[in-house]
Amino acid sequence: MRGTRSILVQISARHLENTTIFDVTGDIDLANSPAVRKAFLSEIREKKIPRVIVNLQAVKYIDSSGIASLVEGLKASRDLKARFILFGLSKSAREVLQLSRLLKLFEIYENEEQALSAESV
Amino acid sequence: MPRRQLLLRLQLLSNPMVLCGVRGAVSPLASVVGFGEEDCHKITLALDEAITNVIRHAYGGKLERPIEIQFHKLNGSPATKPGLEIILIDRGTKARPEALKGLPPGELRSGGLGLHFMRQSMDTVVHTRVGSTNRLRMVKFIH
Repeated sequence: MRGTRSILVQISARHLENTTIFDVTGDIDLANSPAVRKAFLSEIREKKIPRVIVNLQAVKYIDSSGIASLVEGLKASRDLKARFILFGLSKSAREVLQLSRLLKLFEIYENEEQALSAESV
Repeated sequence: MPRRQLLLRLQLLSNPMVLCGVRGAVSPLASVVGFGEEDCHKITLALDEAITNVIRHAYGGKLERPIEIQFHKLNGSPATKPGLEIILIDRGTKARPEALKGLPPGELRSGGLGLHFMRQSMDTVVHTRVGSTNRLRMVKFIH
């Protein structure tokens, strides 16, 4: 496991076969969304991981710059025919994604077990 | 009772690190004014996005530039509802008219969501240029 820490956010990565799971803790806003984006894109574009899963259970707040980081992760994954999966959205994170009208574009599951076992859609 | 009452004036410097502090202040303030949890979250999001826009666009990411935020309680009258008025003032560049139109959400695009969030969260969002300052007025009423 490795981790990066920015202002009010911590990102750690767990590596399974063909999968990286990011555990994100804290608020994702303009101060730290660049670190989140960099972590996602490194895994997707540089390491060519075919399935990236993001655990948002411990994300209490996300704004448009945080949503933009998720969108960039999803776009990069689609470009490489990889999967970008979210799980454990808090009520506020789900509300913000709903407000962006992007909720349906993401592959979202309730928990890690479902995210890991889900077939490609 | 005055119809409009200054509750708090914040003088900030443009730095993304101030966002968490402002969020920590605005939600309890909105709660004291009388908003429920969901509206407190919407007001917090709108203000976070407004400051983010000032830092990114008005000041082009430059740090240490002045931002003033005023919070006014609107006491309401027989004709108007009570609520919260937030005024944001910066000395950055004038916003391009096309930037204030906002972009339709729902597409897989990583920009342009901030203004949409502000408009979805508040009842009034008005940008004006006054002399060399940008002035954003946002109002949310207690429904």
